[in-house]
Amino acid sequence: MIDKIEAAKREFDHDADAVGDERALESFRVKFLSRNGIISKLFDEMKAAPNEEKPALGKALNQFRKGAEEKFTALEEKLQSDGEEDAVDLSLPGEPAFVGGKHILTQTIDSIKDIFKRMGFSVYEGPELESDYHNFEALNFPPDHPARDEQDTYFVNDKFLLRTHTSPVQIRLMQSTKPPVRAIMPGKVYRNEAINARSMNHFYQVEGLHVDTDVTFADLKSALMRFAAEFYGENSRYRFRASFFPFTEPSAEMDISCFLCGGEGCRVCKHTGWLEILGCGMVDPNVLKAVGYDPDVYSGYAFGMGVDRTALMRYAVPDIRVLYENDIRFLRQF
Amino acid sequence: MKISLNWVKQYVDLDGLTMKDVVDALTMSGLEVGDVVDQTARYDKFVVADVVEKGKHPNADRLALCKVNDGAETLDVVCGAPNVEAGQKVAFAQVGSKLPRGGHKITKAKIRGVVSNGMICAEDELDIGDDHSGIIVLDPKLKTGTPLADALGLNDVLLEIETTPNRSDALSHYGVARDLSALFDRKLTKPTIALTEGKTPAKKFAEIAVLDPEHCPRYTATVVRGVEIKDSPDWLKNRLISIGARPINNVVDVTNFVLHEIGQPLHAFDLDRLAGKKIVVRKRKPEEKTFVTLDSQERKLDDEALMICDAERPVAVAGVMGGENSEVTPETTNVLIESAFFNPRSVRPTARKMALSTDSSYRFERGTDPDGTRWAAERAAQLIVETGGGEVAKGAIDVYPKKMKPKRVKFRSAQIKRILGYEIPKKDVVRIFRKLGFEIDDARGNDWTVLVPPFRHDIDREIDLIEEAARIYGYDLITPVERVAVPMISTVDQTAFADEIRAALSGIGFREILCNPLVSEREAELSGKSIPLQNPGTVDMSRLRTSLFAGMLSTIKRNVNVNERSLRLFEIGATFNARKDEIKSFDDFFEERRLAIAMTGDASKKTWRTEKRAYDVFDLKGALGAFSAALRLDNSLRDCYYDSGGRLFDHYFETKRGKTVVGYGGRVKREVAESFDVDQEVFFFELLIDELFAARKTDTRYAAPPRYPKVFKDAAFLLDASVKFEDVRNFIEKESSDLLKAVTLFDLFEGESIGAGKKSAALSFEFYDEGGTLTDDEVEKEFFSIIENVKTRFNAALRGGS
Ligand SMILES: [Zn+2]
Repeated sequence: MIDKIEAAKREFDHDADAVGDERALESFRVKFLSRNGIISKLFDEMKAAPNEEKPALGKALNQFRKGAEEKFTALEEKLQSDGEEDAVDLSLPGEPAFVGGKHILTQTIDSIKDIFKRMGFSVYEGPELESDYHNFEALNFPPDHPARDEQDTYFVNDKFLLRTHTSPVQIRLMQSTKPPVRAIMPGKVYRNEAINARSMNHFYQVEGLHVDTDVTFADLKSALMRFAAEFYGENSRYRFRASFFPFTEPSAEMDISCFLCGGEGCRVCKHTGWLEILGCGMVDPNVLKAVGYDPDVYSGYAFGMGVDRTALMRYAVPDIRVLYENDIRFLRQF
Repeated sequence: MKISLNWVKQYVDLDGLTMKDVVDALTMSGLEVGDVVDQTARYDKFVVADVVEKGKHPNADRLALCKVNDGAETLDVVCGAPNVEAGQKVAFAQVGSKLPRGGHKITKAKIRGVVSNGMICAEDELDIGDDHSGIIVLDPKLKTGTPLADALGLNDVLLEIETTPNRSDALSHYGVARDLSALFDRKLTKPTIALTEGKTPAKKFAEIAVLDPEHCPRYTATVVRGVEIKDSPDWLKNRLISIGARPINNVVDVTNFVLHEIGQPLHAFDLDRLAGKKIVVRKRKPEEKTFVTLDSQERKLDDEALMICDAERPVAVAGVMGGENSEVTPETTNVLIESAFFNPRSVRPTARKMALSTDSSYRFERGTDPDGTRWAAERAAQLIVETGGGEVAKGAIDVYPKKMKPKRVKFRSAQIKRILGYEIPKKDVVRIFRKLGFEIDDARGNDWTVLVPPFRHDIDREIDLIEEAARIYGYDLITPVERVAVPMISTVDQTAFADEIRAALSGIGFREILCNPLVSEREAELSGKSIPLQNPGTVDMSRLRTSLFAGMLSTIKRNVNVNERSLRLFEIGATFNARKDEIKSFDDFFEERRLAIAMTGDASKKTWRTEKRAYDVFDLKGALGAFSAALRLDNSLRDCYYDSGGRLFDHYFETKRGKTVVGYGGRVKREVAESFDVDQEVFFFELLIDELFAARKTDTRYAAPPRYPKVFKDAAFLLDASVKFEDVRNFIEKESSDLLKAVTLFDLFEGESIGAGKKSAALSFEFYDEGGTLTDDEVEKEFFSIIENVKTRFNAALRGGS
């Protein structure tokens, strides 16, 4: 008899879980709680049980009935309140939540870092307020050389200045490390230039450096073409043309075929079909000497790219100043 | 630098090459070509035409109706010029052409009722002069129908070349021709000098003394007597006009021509205006403070300036500009041509300090050819006689005490492969070097000595020679090598922590901004001892920021102006504070990476189910807590120290690690915000990145989630209003056992019902035992001990508890 009650309880729990609407609730009531329901029948059966078992069975059955009635009431209330919830207009707007994000330039630097990190490059930083030694002298800019004019410099005094490029980080890195060195160095740089749609007096660069016993110009080309293919897409064409930087020899600028005209020539590429993306070259022996590397043993390449211009090209932003206005309506777009 | 391709062709044969071949080759080898102006295209549909007949315009007395033959057909053309006559050869703009000056398009148009099929042009319309008094009448021998560009030699291509500062050798037409001769393996031809000299030696007419041979290693002069100063012939004028220089007179034009031909700056003195007929090259004397240059400007002289003087006074600033007191005038008859080599280190500081950059100083400061002065002086003398008559005195006066020798550079040909990763055939290297003017003493072995002429100031090492070979041979021929394996060296990312901070703040709804680190003096001095720039662009950007505060406030202002008033922003950037008045070493200032966060406007907006609420300082504290949790920091951001906020803040607080301030901030004072034109409350906090880095919990390990039930108890205390919550919390945490896991404040009020100067603080306590289920007794014991302690320590009363 007691097993029968337990079985009925299990069936009750099972059926209760399945009740989903009013009709199911009613047949559930009829099945268990009506005059001809299972519980009434169990009470009837109890009458036939031996007298000594009756008190225990009575207690169990009464508990079962009480629990069943409570459960039924609860189910009834739940169904009613479910009905009320269904009445909510779910098309009402959601509660606003905060959305944050990184600046477009940080995002661009992140993409550049990602690619180079996969190629085994470390990431280093250096100070923005630099010495003339790190920014120029150690990078093979002779004192009073016109090459210094190319980089309109903000001076603090004769010895200190705002770095005009991220290249001084190369010097700091090589001075503190033994070769092999393979790193990129992102950061802010400054030029004393008039501010307009195309030029800003502060902007970001990513410097790169790879020095080892057997690094050649061919390695430079492959690393930078791999980077460019990942960053700009596989379909662009590239060229390396001779240029000049005091700290590299030979020096080159890397151009990419114009995104806009595909190389036909347009206003953006000044009708050349090419856009300049970075400067590069083999680290000048004088620079290697300045940091105590033997140029007859070690060779390497270095490169530097402007992040801002890259971001402008990538997202078709027409005016560099927009990057630093921090208009939230602009920042939200990226 | 403007370069005329027709001019270049005087020195190198470019037959069979297209304009594109030439432009590409120059660009790829380091002489980047910017703008290209193809004159032939400008004079498309302009031809030599014949005026067959001149008739009267039926409706206008001052207009003529001409019949014009353009080689293909005879057309009616209306012409208003007074000098048009039948039988003339004229410059004719056909229908469909575009005037080179002004860009007016020529169409078939009715002029006073008569159709005109084109236009007969005046000089100015063709952009070859300024004359508009009548049409240009051409040489009658020209063939009708010839393209005008060919007839007038307007078939030039003009290149704007951007030369890098190392390539002083390429700052002339001959210099560009030299590169082209190497690039295309063509012959380079230097014009030969054919002087008819007089009998009297130049030394009889002038004397030259160089007192400073270090700064003026060579001074060469030629003398031309009896010259007539007049307009230059057309060929000379056109050469100068083509590259954008203004013709002045034959003597000045010749000196300009030679400068652009060979790169040697020249200066013509009126010999009769030189006192004592003498040139003295010396340093400025202390009493010579200013000097009137030939542009009639009185200029201050640099202390170190090298001066060209006559027997009495300065007559030119060496290598920069001549003086008004000795320049060639229409009355001049005797001329002394200066052709010198000045030390680049002498010219550059002088030109820079005088803020004067001339064609001469530009070349001298980059380095000219010390061996080329004589050729240039004689070339100029010859051309002056050709254009203005007179006689060249015999011989030049040439002061060149220490002749400069070619540089001898060791060259190991195997180094090409080592540096470039590819081979250049030896015969190509030899050819390239020779075309560039280098000599090889013995090219048979693998190690050579290369003799580099002194005009290549940029070449004195093996690596420089490698570059010459590579740039002429072509970088494009270098095949990239794909190295599959990345060497197993450990990598470092110093930017990783800043990236974690950005991710954490982005995650709790903050936007990153990037501001200009250059600010005004007022902004810089708000929060530190600032470092001024020696040469600021503007006063707004004359100092380095001492904090990220000003940039943040300016950003808020800009956004509030466009009615974006609710903002959660952060910036990571360098700040610069001086330790001393003068920056002599890295110890005299500190550059620090900081993080600024700010909140302003509405913490929640009014929606259909939420009330609007403005940010307050507790939102700031909450954000710092969330940030700290996201970065897994120790308690550095939780323990706050409250202080008066100085000039910038009220509701100010600091967070510390030990004695070091990690961050500071609070509510920006109203008057400070207003000084940035911000009319709403701003909550700002600035943190030191290095201190945050030190506050990271590095020993994070797995802790099992609680397995036994937590027990919560609440108690409300009546406290003096002056008692700080944090003191109470810290006291409780310190005094209670490990069972107490957290204390939170869930209600706080002050009011008449509890008495003046009092407040009620309701605290919730969370108890938990890692070892098992807590019994009621254990909890009660702990709870009552806390209550008693608080009552004693803070003179508090228990208002209720459960
Ligand atoms: Zn294009």
